[in-house]
Amino acid sequence: MVFETLRRHVHSIAYWAYVSFMGILGAGVSQIERPATLWPTLVTLLAIIAGARIIGPEFASGTLQLVLVKPVKRCTYLVSRVAGVVLAVWLGAVVGLTGETVGRLVTGPVPWDALLSAFLFATIDAILVVSLLAMFGSFTRGYTNVELYIGIQIVLLMILAFARGKLPVWLATAIKFVQNNLFPDAPPAFDVDWLLLILSNAAIALVIACFAFSKREVPYGAD
Amino acid sequence: MADDSSGIHVRGLRKSFRIKGGDHEVLKGVDLDIAPGEVLGLIGPNGAGKTTLMSCLLGFLHPNGGEIVIDGRPNDDLDVRRRTGFVPERMNFDRRETGRAFLRYMARLAGIPAEAADERVQAMLTRLGIADAAEKRLSQYSRGMLQRIGMSQALIHEPQFLFLDEPTSGLDPNGVLLVRELIEEQKTRGVAVLLNSHQLAEVEKVCDRVLFLHGGVVAQAETLRHSGRFAVAITLLPDSFDAAEVARIAGNAVENGVVLASVETEADIAEIVRELAATGAGIIGVKRHTADLEGIFRGHA
Repeated sequence: MVFETLRRHVHSIAYWAYVSFMGILGAGVSQIERPATLWPTLVTLLAIIAGARIIGPEFASGTLQLVLVKPVKRCTYLVSRVAGVVLAVWLGAVVGLTGETVGRLVTGPVPWDALLSAFLFATIDAILVVSLLAMFGSFTRGYTNVELYIGIQIVLLMILAFARGKLPVWLATAIKFVQNNLFPDAPPAFDVDWLLLILSNAAIALVIACFAFSKREVPYGAD
Repeated sequence: MADDSSGIHVRGLRKSFRIKGGDHEVLKGVDLDIAPGEVLGLIGPNGAGKTTLMSCLLGFLHPNGGEIVIDGRPNDDLDVRRRTGFVPERMNFDRRETGRAFLRYMARLAGIPAEAADERVQAMLTRLGIADAAEKRLSQYSRGMLQRIGMSQALIHEPQFLFLDEPTSGLDPNGVLLVRELIEEQKTRGVAVLLNSHQLAEVEKVCDRVLFLHGGVVAQAETLRHSGRFAVAITLLPDSFDAAEVARIAGNAVENGVVLASVETEADIAEIVRELAATGAGIIGVKRHTADLEGIFRGHA
């Protein structure tokens, strides 16, 4: 299933159009002094776009019901889908990194530390993004997972931006904690603690997703 | 050899849905059994709970009560699922895939090894008459072709339990005949088949038994054929026959000038007709006797 998910992406013209754009953009931003300027953001966006299709839309389309009668544990299916999407996103990240690397090789020295650190951030962050979308998708239909993902992010940002001073300290701290754990900013440099935090959060999201998906009812059709 | 636990067994199945704060009980204690090699038809009006029943059997819905046992195991057992095929009414899967890629994916999910999957896919595409469209995207398939691909994915791993929800919906007459043939093949293979359909004529042709589901319970059960036998209705000319002789030959009493005989082959019919004619009975007509499913429908409406 992991490779089936990957195969579906690499057979998609839209996927390659997006990834090619990332590569070209990577080469383009190599002219800018600051390394890894834009393509890592596109990697996260790719993770959102590709991850949005896990479970929820499959439920709505009827594909999920065909899968669930097969001898595959629901949790195995969900984790495999996440892994397949993450691999597809990583492939995109490689193209972005390659684009910028080639561009910088042509024009001057390559800031390897900064580039690889940004690549690592984008790829590890993609695991969290896709896991969260799978978690939201495990109990919603259609594209509600991505609506929740973006909606929560916006709400947290707005609360912190407009009501921070008016909130009790504990509440502001709690909101900041949730924001840092679910939607972390890139660290300024390579940071093992940060990587472990992201991976453990992704693992928690996957455990919740597996639990919710295993218990979920998936009716089809109607009488 | 089939034992008592082989096949599909359901006892006291109940399922409710929470609607607007209240519980709406859709299944109110359904019992059913499907033996290996038996085709059970499920009929009933819209809202009777047919799809809910099938969803419970397939593990899509969690029943509120009752028991589902398939070959002695719970219905969500992986070994049961390895031997289960399902054709949904609406084939709404990912239409960007080609027919071949979709079937290969389904074959792999069903546990068919990669090296055997391609061969099985080609065999199913050919058997279902869609080999020419194998490389087309499913979005380019007609509804009938999607039904065929749906049958293909359900049969590709040679299941022992087959759940069909309106499998002939959208099919042309050739497609309907093909599905009928496929169901007969599965029956011969010893597959337990549950067929949910509104097409009563089709149900009558392929099913051994029929359950009429109404208001969440089995309102009526009809046996259409038993152990390969079927019934013929022989209409006799009034006052031309000796009722006792006719009953001896046909095995049933004459009612309103019609006697029902249970036969296995066409030759049996000819033999009975010959024997009746020899007694001097005038025979007006001989036709296959079928359950009046429309009558059952109307009776419960």
